[in-house]
Amino acid sequence: MTDNAEIDRQIDREYEAGFITDVESSTLPPGLNEDTVRFISKKKGEPEWLLEWRLKAFAAWKEMTPPNWAQVKHPEVDFQDISYFSEPKSMEDRPQSLDEVDPELIATYVKLGIPVHEHAALAGVAVDVVFDSVSLGTTFREKLSESGVIFMPISEAVHKHPELVKKYMGSVVPQRDNFYSALNSAVFSDGSFVYIPKGVRCPMELSTYFRINEENTGQFERTLIIADEGSHVSYLEGCTAPMRDENQLHAAVVELVAMDDAEIKYSTVQNWYPGDSEGKGGIYNFVTKRGIAHTNAKISWTQVETGSAITWKYPSCILKGDNSVGEFYSVALTNNFQEADTGTKMIHLGKNTKSTIISKGISAGKSQNAYRGLVRMGPGAKGARNYTQCDSLLIGDKCGAHTFPYIESKNPSAIVEHEATTSKVSDEQLFLCQQRGIDTEKAVSMIVNGFCKEVFKELPMEFAVEAGKLLEVSLEGSVG
Amino acid sequence: MLTIKDLQASVEDKEILKGLNLDIKPGEIHAIMGPNGAGKSTLGNVLAGREDYEVSGGSAELQGTDLLELDPEERARLGVFLAFQYPVEIPGVSNLEFLKASVDSVRAAQGKEPLDSVSFLKLAREKCKAVDLDQSFLKRGVNEGFSGGEKKRNEIMQMMLLEPKLCILDETDSGLDIDALQVVAKGVNSLRDPNRSFIVVTHYQRLLDYIVPDYVHVLANGKIVKTGGKELALELEEKGYSWLEDGADNGAQ
Amino acid sequence: MTDFHKGLLAVNPADSDLLAALNKSGRDSFLQQEIPTRKTEAWKYTSLNALTSHEEGYGRLATNFNANELATLSNIPALDAHRLVFVNGQYSSQLSSSELSSSESSANVVRFSQANSEQQKIIADNIGSAIEQDKHLFAALNNAITNDGVLVHIGKNEQLKQNIQITHISTAQKKAFTVPARILIVLETGANATVVEHFTSTGDQQNCFINAITEAKVGANARLNHYRLQLVEENSIQIGGVYVDLDRDANYDSFQLGLGAKIVRNDINVNHNVGGSHCELKGVYLPQNKQLIDFHSNMEHKVANCTTNEVFRGIMADKSKAVFNGRIHIHPDAQKTLAELSNKNLLLSNEATINTKPELEIYADDVRCAHGATIAQLDEEARFYLQSRGISAAEADVMLSFGFINELLENLELEAVRDLIRPILAKRFGRDEELMQHIG
Repeated sequence: MTDNAEIDRQIDREYEAGFITDVESSTLPPGLNEDTVRFISKKKGEPEWLLEWRLKAFAAWKEMTPPNWAQVKHPEVDFQDISYFSEPKSMEDRPQSLDEVDPELIATYVKLGIPVHEHAALAGVAVDVVFDSVSLGTTFREKLSESGVIFMPISEAVHKHPELVKKYMGSVVPQRDNFYSALNSAVFSDGSFVYIPKGVRCPMELSTYFRINEENTGQFERTLIIADEGSHVSYLEGCTAPMRDENQLHAAVVELVAMDDAEIKYSTVQNWYPGDSEGKGGIYNFVTKRGIAHTNAKISWTQVETGSAITWKYPSCILKGDNSVGEFYSVALTNNFQEADTGTKMIHLGKNTKSTIISKGISAGKSQNAYRGLVRMGPGAKGARNYTQCDSLLIGDKCGAHTFPYIESKNPSAIVEHEATTSKVSDEQLFLCQQRGIDTEKAVSMIVNGFCKEVFKELPMEFAVEAGKLLEVSLEGSVG
Repeated sequence: MLTIKDLQASVEDKEILKGLNLDIKPGEIHAIMGPNGAGKSTLGNVLAGREDYEVSGGSAELQGTDLLELDPEERARLGVFLAFQYPVEIPGVSNLEFLKASVDSVRAAQGKEPLDSVSFLKLAREKCKAVDLDQSFLKRGVNEGFSGGEKKRNEIMQMMLLEPKLCILDETDSGLDIDALQVVAKGVNSLRDPNRSFIVVTHYQRLLDYIVPDYVHVLANGKIVKTGGKELALELEEKGYSWLEDGADNGAQ
Repeated sequence: MTDFHKGLLAVNPADSDLLAALNKSGRDSFLQQEIPTRKTEAWKYTSLNALTSHEEGYGRLATNFNANELATLSNIPALDAHRLVFVNGQYSSQLSSSELSSSESSANVVRFSQANSEQQKIIADNIGSAIEQDKHLFAALNNAITNDGVLVHIGKNEQLKQNIQITHISTAQKKAFTVPARILIVLETGANATVVEHFTSTGDQQNCFINAITEAKVGANARLNHYRLQLVEENSIQIGGVYVDLDRDANYDSFQLGLGAKIVRNDINVNHNVGGSHCELKGVYLPQNKQLIDFHSNMEHKVANCTTNEVFRGIMADKSKAVFNGRIHIHPDAQKTLAELSNKNLLLSNEATINTKPELEIYADDVRCAHGATIAQLDEEARFYLQSRGISAAEADVMLSFGFINELLENLELEAVRDLIRPILAKRFGRDEELMQHIG
């Protein structure tokens, strides 16, 4: 407790991604009904089957109620008060490549450090940039197409690869899976589509960068990644939003399909605007992410969650095929009034399936941080194994750290191990650092970084550094 | 007593024993020495029947019975005893109950009646005393919270209770101070018998001052590369193993 | 009123001025609570169907029994205890030693219905106070329907040497019936007592629903040793729990054993209310056949400097199912808390199920809390060790399974309790005589 005074004395630094891009946008007025769904579908020039698909989801959504079991408190979201579509006017002309996109938009990403130019420093990463409801375009298309990799906005894939989209969209996260997935299925605007052909190792990292810009606008993107037999892909997403006083909704759906012997590595650095130090504003991040792993396949989720006012997110693996592997590495940091309820589900169906869960929760300020996870060993999960480790670090005595692991087993040969601990940045640790000449802020950041090391090492290298810095920034003002 | 021919075994697809031959006559003590990773412990585990060890070729017979086809408990009942290098702790299972279960099953295999509880307790206490273990150890969980030396003495005590035909001591000297070493050696020597044979696996010559072997074998790269009398141990102590390892390679060529 | 509520409230409490207020508030609370479904978090894995779908319902039943035939069953051999025995909820003076009650004595063990005015005051002052009935449906039910109970009151600094044994026996009956069982334990400052609760039944077809609630108020520096042994036959239903309030530097040391039945559900709720208190909770569950057992524990660390050490182990055989939920809740002011929970499970069959959920809810930073839960198999190393000593694989498994539970029995203070339950447990693992000769 004594270190709080020291910890609290630290400076507040601004949310660096909090600027607003001044572009003219055409934005649908707030409100949600069947016409909204039809409007979005029409705007995207979608085929009839997709409109039907959306309407079915919308009908289901109307019958559903928001989940209330998470350890988060927020005012009820008024779904009629949100605009479900917004795109920069300049995008209405459908530019053919990123080179044709409004320089003001491109500048947004450059300012955020996103490599939208192919000649930029991170030349090894192909990027899709999504601005409010539309994708501005993807980089490195030609290079990727040489190896048969498809990486494009999902709105484009609907037209160019309808058979793939039709077959797989909703196959992992059904429309009516939950309240927010149903909502997303009805009004999703854009997102990324990835297909890696059989036996191909994707030659570069793929990444999507999501940006919410418009006021009162929700973002409902949808990502679908299909790794065909024996293929391999590493994918990264990043997210930011301007600082606004009102809460904005982000309800995404991500579906991963890893066919036999395929591997998908999915990393997230989530830095949506978390609200100010008084708890005003910030993104409500209600996301459904799930992957299905077939025989010998592997799905690995790595997430660094520092943003959003509320996070509700459980990237999951259905380990359907024998010997399939699921991994979940997570760092969730909450500060000020942020609340996070996040974790994973590992559903073991196949024989000898393996899963590993490493979750690091850091709570500071007046925030609440919960790990919620499910490990289920089905009757057929012979010889399956899970190892879970959940560690919480508390900084200050006004925050909360919670662990809610659900463990279910119906197979006597399956082994599950779950451990959870909680600790704080101790006076002794701080004193040791100080005695060696390291100031408190730096010391806390070092300790937190050490605490998160196991997860950071799972991130692609470029992003591991970024994630470390992000934590440092997010922690500012927590110490003292 | 024990005849091993061209024994090959692997762990997790890694070949460890690569054609080992050994012939042990009743009453003999054979020391097996060798560098770390040579396969010394593997030999004991293979003979005792540990599941993780895959035998890919060769044979091992105890008085004409093929050991390799048998379950671990069947081997034990025939008289194979492995004194473990790292005896496992089994909390909740009392040492006494464990010992009684073990002695009962070995006796049953010999067509003998189980000992009644009173006689057994008396016997167990006697053996405890012989290896300098306090009787309170009988009440504790198997090896639970025992020190390294106590675990080793517990192993020797079991050996004395079961009176096996073939005793395999897997680095029983490791981690023992000189006093404990003498206790262990005394226990082993008390069991020396014209109808009982020993394999003493060790890294150091020291133990062999107390348990004097008839033969010393050097195990390197999964084979016995040199055999000699007890003086070989002294030579190894002085010169190390590398000259023999090189020799093994040359020999293979 | 729904059928669910009506059915369970069918047992009218007797007219008792002493319990009238409790009965009324219990009834009000019970009626306003929702019927648990699969979506009710606390009942996610445990269905109440067997209780609520019973055609005739579980009412009250006056039964005749032959006390002589029950003497062996009610006795815990070698336990030096002051004994109160109830058969189908009715007190049996023949099976009990007389009640311990006098105005001079500072230790009283007395039925509510026999309480003198001083004792009545103690009951009135304390009953229901350790229970948040609005959060515990079946505690509210007990408050609503209980018509008698046992008061254990130990005065200041009294170190009661003799143990207290409270046994409930249920016998075979054609008609389904409910037994509300209630114990109120009040230990004054510095007092010390050992209470053994013991539930058992005749081996025949059972038709009993036992709604057993034990409430303990452990005073400053006082110590309660509490054994709760559920050894009922598998057609019984037992739903209830233990609710404990700990005063400054109080100690609650408990061992809970549940064999499983049609439904067995226990809520164990411990409140660290003042500071310096310690809770040591050990538990074992061993359902077999198609039995169900559910333990929900909740450690409320409301203040600083308290400790909890909780260990539960379970072995599920056949088509049985076990549920374990272990919550540790550290309130904002509960700095310097040390709380640990360990839950280990073994599944013995392809059709058995375990659902476990250790929970940490922490609102203070200077605490050391940890939990661990495992579902595993018997240790291969240990099995090989036993086999290498001539013990068959089958017997090794029995010995190791028993050892897994025995670890928690070894340290029980009351040898008589250990001697009572070891053979019962041994029988659960070694169904074959051959295999169980070296355990129990």
